[in-house]
Amino acid sequence: MSALAPLLRGVHVPPTVGQAKPPSGRTPGKTAPSIETFDQIVDDYQRRLYGFALRMTGNREDAEEIVQDAFVRAYRALGKMSLEQRSDLRLQPWLYTITLNVTRNRLRTKRPTNVALDALADPDALLRESHEGPPRPETIVEQNAEVALVERALLQLPMHLRAAATLRFIEGRSHPEIAEILHQPIGTVKSHVHRAVRILRRILGPQIGRIAPEGAPVHALS
Amino acid sequence: MRCRDVETLWDEVRGDCQESVKEAVDIHLRACPHCQELYEQFEGVAYCLSCLPKPEPSCDLSKRVVEHIALIKARERTTPVVLTSAQTPIGRLYVGFKEDKIAYVGIDTGEAFEAVRARVESRLRRPVVAGEAPEWLSRTLDQFFSTWQVDDRVVDIEDLTPFEQAALRAAAQIPPGEVRSYSWVASKIGRPRAARAVGQVMARNPLALLFPCHRVVDAQGDLHNYGYGIEMKARLLKMEGYTARKA
Repeated sequence: MSALAPLLRGVHVPPTVGQAKPPSGRTPGKTAPSIETFDQIVDDYQRRLYGFALRMTGNREDAEEIVQDAFVRAYRALGKMSLEQRSDLRLQPWLYTITLNVTRNRLRTKRPTNVALDALADPDALLRESHEGPPRPETIVEQNAEVALVERALLQLPMHLRAAATLRFIEGRSHPEIAEILHQPIGTVKSHVHRAVRILRRILGPQIGRIAPEGAPVHALS
Repeated sequence: MRCRDVETLWDEVRGDCQESVKEAVDIHLRACPHCQELYEQFEGVAYCLSCLPKPEPSCDLSKRVVEHIALIKARERTTPVVLTSAQTPIGRLYVGFKEDKIAYVGIDTGEAFEAVRARVESRLRRPVVAGEAPEWLSRTLDQFFSTWQVDDRVVDIEDLTPFEQAALRAAAQIPPGEVRSYSWVASKIGRPRAARAVGQVMARNPLALLFPCHRVVDAQGDLHNYGYGIEMKARLLKMEGYTARKA
């Protein structure tokens, strides 16, 4: 693997990739999800689902409404399930699926938005993530422009490829988990992930291969 | 291994695929600068995506969701309305009651019981079952037909929207034997431009007679319309002692 080693060094591999961790969802021994404990479910998953919806829509307001709607649907559905169904339910993939369905419905009825993407690249987020004190203003602008570039590229993908890429590289889900969320065969998931990466590579240009993983995130794109 | 195969295997060799596959890819990469460059670019894409900031939702999102769900819980309508019939001075009525309050009154027009039951169920969005009239119900109805005025404590309109409730309560303030216009009701509830909406509420009044939608007429004083026929509206008003100004 020596040839691969320099490629992988320092590259952030999403936590669930290549690890023996069981697909997330129901933890054995834990009680079945129910409407009585729903507040906790909301608390546990709102950030994750929001992040996913945001990457899928590119719009904060839409993402929040999608998350709200998804939770309401989940609540109604849980209320109609038997204990047995709830025990068998794998909560996390199920919630992703609902969120994705709500997103699809919403984007279908809404014309493609020319989102104010700059609103996404949040300078505060960069400040929070910086370990070396506040960056100089020009760095923020530069990094924001790069983040916006990647965000815009992602939004250019067709919906199914965007879902696959977001789940794989942003949410860090494994192929089997994505297959479960999207109700697709694993082969289809792999092919969609691959097509998404190919298209993104084309959009972002060949210099994407020269990014320096150590140091500033998403740098050297310009 | 061909370049095409190596390319499609990229995401798999990052994970836990077979060691032999990894080795085959590795051998190919060492000899193929093109694929090596491609892998670097794919890695770059994956890296960029993984580095995208993870914006936080508004701090009250969780609270809003929980509140929304609390609202749904509160709206869950499980207590059934018991539907029965009663003989009254104006004829047979269908009366629905929920616990100790009346939630539905309709004049029997000869419609099949099941049809009425289904209609009430969809109007109140609550299960409706057939049942016997309790003793208090006939007392309450007797009381009503002696005064033509309803005691607010014996009726239940909580299944209706706030606007509907307000409009019906305003209509209940019209004294027996008198009429007011739709726009009068609308002004009374602080929505002067909502006369037509008031008309809709009166048309869908689930508590006929008790909430006297028959006392609401159009701006010209014409009886306009009534769910049980305009003749019934005239008859009810006559029973209350109303004499039409218009011939």
